[in-house]
Amino acid sequence: MRPWRKKPTRFTASVTLAVVIPALIVAALYLTSDIPVPILLVVIYLPLQLIASGIAAWATKGTRGIADSVIIVNAIGASLFSVIVLVSVIGSLIVRGLRALSPHFLFQNSVYISPSTPLDYGGIGHSLVGTLLIVFIASLISVPIGIATAVYITEVRGRAVPYVRFFVQAMSGVPSVVAGLFILTIVVATGAFNQSAFAGGLAYAILMLPTVARTAEEVLKLVPDDLRTGALALGSTRARTVLRVVIPAARTGIITAVILGVARVIGETAPLLLAAGNNDQTVVNPFGSPISSVPTYIFNNVALPYPDAVTRAWGSALVLIILVAILFTLARVIGRGRVGR
Amino acid sequence: MQLRDLQSAATSHRGDRVFTRTVAGAAFTSLVVLAGIAIFLGLQAIPAFQTQGWSFLTSTGWDINTTPPTVGIFGMLYGSVLLSVIGLVIAVPAALLLAIFMVFLSPPRLAKVLTNLIDLMAAIPSVILGLWAFYILNPTAEEWQILLNKYLGWIPIFENTSGNFLGTPFIAGFVLAIMMIPIITAVAREVLSRTPPDLINASEALGCSLWTMLRYVALPYGRGGIVGGVMLGLGRALGETIAVFFVLKIVFETNWDKIIESGGGSVATLIVSRFGEVSGPLELQLLLAAGFFLFVMTLVVNVIANLIVSRTGRLQK
Repeated sequence: MRPWRKKPTRFTASVTLAVVIPALIVAALYLTSDIPVPILLVVIYLPLQLIASGIAAWATKGTRGIADSVIIVNAIGASLFSVIVLVSVIGSLIVRGLRALSPHFLFQNSVYISPSTPLDYGGIGHSLVGTLLIVFIASLISVPIGIATAVYITEVRGRAVPYVRFFVQAMSGVPSVVAGLFILTIVVATGAFNQSAFAGGLAYAILMLPTVARTAEEVLKLVPDDLRTGALALGSTRARTVLRVVIPAARTGIITAVILGVARVIGETAPLLLAAGNNDQTVVNPFGSPISSVPTYIFNNVALPYPDAVTRAWGSALVLIILVAILFTLARVIGRGRVGR
Repeated sequence: MQLRDLQSAATSHRGDRVFTRTVAGAAFTSLVVLAGIAIFLGLQAIPAFQTQGWSFLTSTGWDINTTPPTVGIFGMLYGSVLLSVIGLVIAVPAALLLAIFMVFLSPPRLAKVLTNLIDLMAAIPSVILGLWAFYILNPTAEEWQILLNKYLGWIPIFENTSGNFLGTPFIAGFVLAIMMIPIITAVAREVLSRTPPDLINASEALGCSLWTMLRYVALPYGRGGIVGGVMLGLGRALGETIAVFFVLKIVFETNWDKIIESGGGSVATLIVSRFGEVSGPLELQLLLAAGFFLFVMTLVVNVIANLIVSRTGRLQK
């Protein structure tokens, strides 16, 4: 894929010069003059770097190398930009959130805590319980349906398969706030349930289902046909083949699908704001009362004018991203297990 | 004997018929849910039209003091589109360049590291991005925007008459771009890496440089998939609520083009911001009606995106 990897020495020397010289010039300007940083970067460094690379490319490859050098400089720039953004986000979470973390932060709730209470008291215990409860309910609903959808697509292979796939794809594009609004409409407005963990779980299930179904479908497709034909040849019914042979063979992949679904959904705030509300107490009953969750806690504490409340928001954001990181790592580690026998 | 023959032979068993029907029924849940969303939210849109008329979609304002409330979401619809366009202008070049770098330029190990980084970026929940944007991006972007206004303020879109540079559509669009880049990059990378090596080697044999190869071989080959990926990112941006909520100051006057002026709107953010202080079932119904239009907007974009991606996928086989 990369036939342009050969590098003569003249190339390396000119590239080094092209990178070092503009950097030195800009560093000197930064230290001596007080041109604001944005102007320094965009108006001075970028053109300088482009020109220098262009000259280097022209010296080694001729006129056609100039277009190449422009692409290369911009491509590297885009990659650096993404890395910087990511480092900034994760770094700020750690730097600003670490202060709030402590054992009591993870276990206590917010019942007697006001925004100005110092960090020694209170915590996100109730939010963690809420998130766990809501995600559990969502999984109970979306995992069986998602696996059934995948089974329909790969095992039953009815005539409606392209339509089912189309609807699953369409469902994956539903915005999280619309899912929350929908659950709000049927569940709350008709008086069946209040804002509750159950309602939140339903909203999450809508968002989880496409991920679980799609990943499960891919995993089931990987199970070799020999297992299926062998079971059928031994006189098994289709139901038994699927339930006793195919799904156990795809066990690790299905677990991965569930974990990925949970990771996708665990940080969604908007549906819970609408369907689950907020609460300072630790709620264990999934029906009947609003319940807090980690994203809702962050949402409520972000814009408060009290620095301790803001630190709590950063702390819970850090907890949330650690949860997401654990889930993804778990999915990757489990996913490396073999499929089938 | 094929698998299909064995399977159809086994269907006569009664348990299998139950099994097949149950599984099919479960599989149609997604259709049921989608139809449910369309119907339930659509039912709320009808009374909204009855009380507001077409001005619900063509005017801008949220006056709940009159009975019935006078409400128009045009500014919010326009705002959703404007923010997404700003995001696309930033995200599409960045994502394409990233994909080109990962597929054609970088050493394989660096490409793997970058892939993991991009996946990590995609996994960041929007509330965390909103938190970061509120406390870190906002102040930094203020400085950039002031300079933009100072030197390029003669261009209409960079005008700012109020001196307030916080909560502008530009910052909101930037946050949306950060969310779109991982999606577009992932799709573009996959599409570009599927360019047949024969075509690339042939182009090198004919004396192509990198840019010429990209322009005449790789990018045309991947054009359909890339467009599909861009539309998937657009669908995500149109529906994004929380991150935009923290950085954009909602104003009920259509902000047409002053992107570094404070104030703007977005349908999703409108719903979340008014939800907390809803004055009664009438206003809730209007919010639900707004949600219906948001649903339709994102559904259309996503369906088109998936059609493009799947159609070009089939062509490329």
